[in-house]
Amino acid sequence: MTLNIILIGFLAATFLMVIAKRITALVRTFRIQSIFLFLYTLYMGLCQQHLELFVVCGLVFILKVVVIPLVLLRIMRRINVEEDLGLLINPQLSLVIALIFAYLSYLFAHNAMGLPYSQASAAFIASMTVVCIGFFLMVGRMKALGQVIGLLVMENAIFLAASVIAGGMPFFVEIALFFDIFVFIVIVEVFVYKVNRLFTHIDTSKMQSLKG
Amino acid sequence: MLVALIIIVPVFLMVVSLFVRKIRPLGLINAAGYAGACVAGVMLLKVFLAGGCVPISLWGWIYIDSLSVFFLITTIAVTFAASVYSIGYIRLEIENGEISLRKAGSYFQLFNLFSFTMFIVPLLNNVALVWIAIEMTTLVSAFLVGFHNVKESIEAAWKYIIICSVGITFALLGIIFFYYTSSNDANVRSLEWASMLSGSGMFDPKIVRIALIFILVGYGTKAGLAPMHNWLPDAHSQALSPVSGLLSGVLLKISLYAILRFVILANFSVGYAYSARLFIFFGLVSLAVAGAFILVQKDLKRLLAYSSVENMGLISLGFGFGPFGGIAAGLLQVFNHAVTKALIFFCAGNAVQAYRSNNMNMMRGLIKAMPFTGASMFLGLFALVGMPPFSIFISKLCILVSAFQGGYHIIAAVMLILIAFAFAGLVYHISRIVLGSPPQALPCHKESLSAKLAFLFLGVFIVGFGVMIPQGFLDLLLSCQRLILGQ
Repeated sequence: MTLNIILIGFLAATFLMVIAKRITALVRTFRIQSIFLFLYTLYMGLCQQHLELFVVCGLVFILKVVVIPLVLLRIMRRINVEEDLGLLINPQLSLVIALIFAYLSYLFAHNAMGLPYSQASAAFIASMTVVCIGFFLMVGRMKALGQVIGLLVMENAIFLAASVIAGGMPFFVEIALFFDIFVFIVIVEVFVYKVNRLFTHIDTSKMQSLKG
Repeated sequence: MLVALIIIVPVFLMVVSLFVRKIRPLGLINAAGYAGACVAGVMLLKVFLAGGCVPISLWGWIYIDSLSVFFLITTIAVTFAASVYSIGYIRLEIENGEISLRKAGSYFQLFNLFSFTMFIVPLLNNVALVWIAIEMTTLVSAFLVGFHNVKESIEAAWKYIIICSVGITFALLGIIFFYYTSSNDANVRSLEWASMLSGSGMFDPKIVRIALIFILVGYGTKAGLAPMHNWLPDAHSQALSPVSGLLSGVLLKISLYAILRFVILANFSVGYAYSARLFIFFGLVSLAVAGAFILVQKDLKRLLAYSSVENMGLISLGFGFGPFGGIAAGLLQVFNHAVTKALIFFCAGNAVQAYRSNNMNMMRGLIKAMPFTGASMFLGLFALVGMPPFSIFISKLCILVSAFQGGYHIIAAVMLILIAFAFAGLVYHISRIVLGSPPQALPCHKESLSAKLAFLFLGVFIVGFGVMIPQGFLDLLLSCQRLILGQ
């Protein structure tokens, strides 16, 4: 029951991201999504009573709920560009596409992978849906930060998928993954500033000097 | 011991580059360090072959078998050449006012960090750590791609980070599927090569098939296989030339190494034939895309970048003809392409510095303006397109032979036609650069000694392996082939 509520929250936050039109709204919904991921790991930790799970849970909170959204909001404040996310596909159609992703993930989990019907498979379908939506956000949003957040959404979903189908990665791998995401966000921050300084915008659809 | 030495070299050099401020000694120390790594690499190969290619496991974190040794020595050789070439290249960039003295220092730090991340990939025991190391290679080399801090290079770096990170995220999903079937069906709750391999017979074929596609698309993005190659020509053309050599020469192969690891894991559940089909598909697409773009290029370094896509396609086809000797041929092509492409990128670096442009229409008469570079480039060109007596000729021929032995007649014919496109494009463009008379306004340029030495070092491999492949190296290749086929 609790698990289902958490999963619904996770999915709902992702659908909110699909219809977000402004970058700050996207960052805030990303934070909400991460909170549900945190609740999920916390629930797992309480069920299994492993110290390692609590450590992972704490790291999810620090990194994904606090640090990454703060960094993204700081980037927004510093570069001081317009908020518009630059949607290639309007929110209504995006939402329909997201629903199609959910159905395809359902087919993928049961037909292609042959998972048995269970709560775990529902959670797996939810996470595959979010992987697809993250990829969709990367492709369908013109601003550089939209792409970054799309990637982080995919990362969140893969974290969830690993946890539901394989019971989580080995502990030190999780730690290394967090380190990787941290390095990624730091480097992305550096490059967003560089892009903004040279191009005076962060609209990747206008970056077209290299072709062919 | 040797392994520890090899890993410590780049770390040590990075620390040194934090403290030494003068560029010339820094470059020399760098080259000396990698020369040491080279010696250690050759000794490792000797020890490994003397021990009968038995996998070595160290401290639980490091696992070395023939495949690791092969990719490690390829990486070390090209990195050494790049470090030698960097000495003169960076000095000239400073004299030309392209980069400041301070930035030159950070170049050496990034260079060493980058080679560190590449050195550890073939050595790590854990698939997820390999994934992280490969992601780190992207993040570190992005700074080297965007080094000039101009619009084009930053755009290239941004595309590079985003596309490769997405690609590799799909690979992570593939890893998770492997982990799922490994823990669920084979009851191995571990991400270590050796333990996963021991249970790989019990993997669920359904899931392995899906996982392998994710792995091939994911790591294939980083390996420059078409149609996921879009970042490659941008990044390779905008990076500094020694780094372009490293990117094309070894970075692409490093992620190929990761793919091969999973192919081995998939062998016992879905069989090699499944992986072979995927390899043939991506190989043909890469050849076709690269052939078309090579013909219409205007930018010298982009031309070479597309040639890398072509060669990755060829290597992939070689693996596709695997059971008929194609794997050894493909691996031989990995090595030959690494050294040849590094050589020709370094030559292109000298040419770009002299003509102050990447545009091939501005470059004429390289052989008169810079005789040594011009001659190396001309020979490198013929080595690259696969003329005898150079080494790529041998590996291309072996790939072709394995195709016919496997009965892939139509694929082999298509492959030959597509190679002919690339051949025509490369010979046309590069011979126009090398021959002719140089523009009047071209200032006199002296080639640095370090560049000449780097060319000679790579030339030894290019010519030497064309004439005769050392027995030890051949043993290593065959041992890799047995490993990949699961024999």
